[in-house]
Amino acid sequence: MNEVYEAIRQTLQAGAHAQTLPEMFQYGFVANALLCGLLIGPLLGGIGTMVVVKRMAFFSQAIGNAAMTGVGIGVLLGESVAAPYYSMFGFCLLFGLLLNYTRNHTKLTQDTLIGVFLAVSLALGSSLLLFVSAKVNTHILEAVLFGSILTVSDTDINVLLAVALLCALVGLPLFNQMLLSSMNPSLARVRGVPVHLLEYVFVVMITLLTVACVKIVGAVLVEALLLIPAAAARNLISSVRGFVLTSIVLSTVSCLAGIYIPMRWDLAVPSGGAIILIAAMFFLLTTVARAVFGRFREARA
Amino acid sequence: MRGPTVHFSRVNLNLGGTRILEDVTFSIAPGEIHALVGPNGGGKTSLVRSLLGEMPHEGEITIAWQESTILGYVPQALDLDRTLPISVADFMAMISQRRPAFLGMNRQVRESSQHALQRVGLENKSRRKLGDLSGGERQRLMLAQALMPAPALLVLDEPAAGMDEAGETLLERLLVESAQAGTTVLWIAHDLGQVRRIAHGVTCLNRTVQFHGRATELLTNERVRAAFGLQALRAQEVAELTP
Repeated sequence: MNEVYEAIRQTLQAGAHAQTLPEMFQYGFVANALLCGLLIGPLLGGIGTMVVVKRMAFFSQAIGNAAMTGVGIGVLLGESVAAPYYSMFGFCLLFGLLLNYTRNHTKLTQDTLIGVFLAVSLALGSSLLLFVSAKVNTHILEAVLFGSILTVSDTDINVLLAVALLCALVGLPLFNQMLLSSMNPSLARVRGVPVHLLEYVFVVMITLLTVACVKIVGAVLVEALLLIPAAAARNLISSVRGFVLTSIVLSTVSCLAGIYIPMRWDLAVPSGGAIILIAAMFFLLTTVARAVFGRFREARA
Repeated sequence: MRGPTVHFSRVNLNLGGTRILEDVTFSIAPGEIHALVGPNGGGKTSLVRSLLGEMPHEGEITIAWQESTILGYVPQALDLDRTLPISVADFMAMISQRRPAFLGMNRQVRESSQHALQRVGLENKSRRKLGDLSGGERQRLMLAQALMPAPALLVLDEPAAGMDEAGETLLERLLVESAQAGTTVLWIAHDLGQVRRIAHGVTCLNRTVQFHGRATELLTNERVRAAFGLQALRAQEVAELTP
């Protein structure tokens, strides 16, 4: 795949030299960043709709926090600081599956349980990260928390691409069943849907996705990108098709704009922050639109 | 089509130290409409959920399937997030095809789901959001999905909840049609008048089986009073129920 990325980078660079594209495209990392944006936008926007329906935003936040611990463990175990993927995937999968198992086997309410897990993962992650960043490089913390798009490597794109393909291959054929089991588990079971298994499959999907996006959006902000575009889409839409497509478009536009705008105007803000701020702007607009148009509709009726 | 015989044999269910069902034994003949009645909290829904394999019950529940093993289920009032952007058509797509609902329906599914919606009078509401349906309309939708594809065993948990009179008549007609086609129907009912009109068999459940047999013979004044407790029924209701 690296040759493909290289070809894309060279095409963009040629465009920049010929001045058909903005000057910033002469840099390889800009092309990398935009490639990532094009991958995570649709992915997070699409899967975000399911996160919203299943009310799992808080759950994915906990997984995001666990990714910090994953990075810490990776550095301690001697993985590369820039790509401690084994530790991140390993720890986050363990964390996500344990959280889901506990959720199924406890009488605690969901928000209490996830709140505890979230707090523990944040405490553990921040302690471990501060501990290792004192030894390695203080910028790790910032990069892990809020994303660091400038340092995206071909490895990162490969990981992201693999996760995107896996999520599409598994998620698309199971979409209807997952939706039905979150609406009414009994009905889903009667129709032969393996409700519990699908729950675990979905947890694995969000976990892989979160880890693959940490580099670009940041551990604490991935959850926001799963939640906000889908929530914004839901404000306006009344069909599944519109919901998923709008969420994908809003998420992709947020990613691309959040990557492009800080680079274009030399703003020293992290990519994750910029992406989420733009997504949040969409949410605000759609909420206002819903309030205004909703009132018109009611007045007419 | 021939529906299955359903046999409950010494079914017990304990939840959190409370005995919900005790020694429940009765059978439902193939192709009959069997009403399950009894006071609230008497264990009707728990028995149905045991039948569906969702409760840790003791004893045996056998479904003697004939040629088809399709089970239709109408859950108790579908409770959902009203803001979910899922339309009636999306819901039908979701339950009947593998292709993700957001990519639209294939033609066959579109035709069969339109037909199912027609049967329950929702054909003009396919673009309506689920959250915008009335309680009765949502129950009609649940009926439509349970009949798609035609089930050999149809299990309904208070399907008439929230339905208007037209809805109740429709429900009766659909149950009778299904039974005539051979479907075995197990129906949790609260309107004893309806039960008397269309049910063949009836079981009254209040933790234990209070009575079981032919609907027309069994729903007599004394039995109903005894099973529900005299307070629970107004005199007028009792008068309507008894021959």
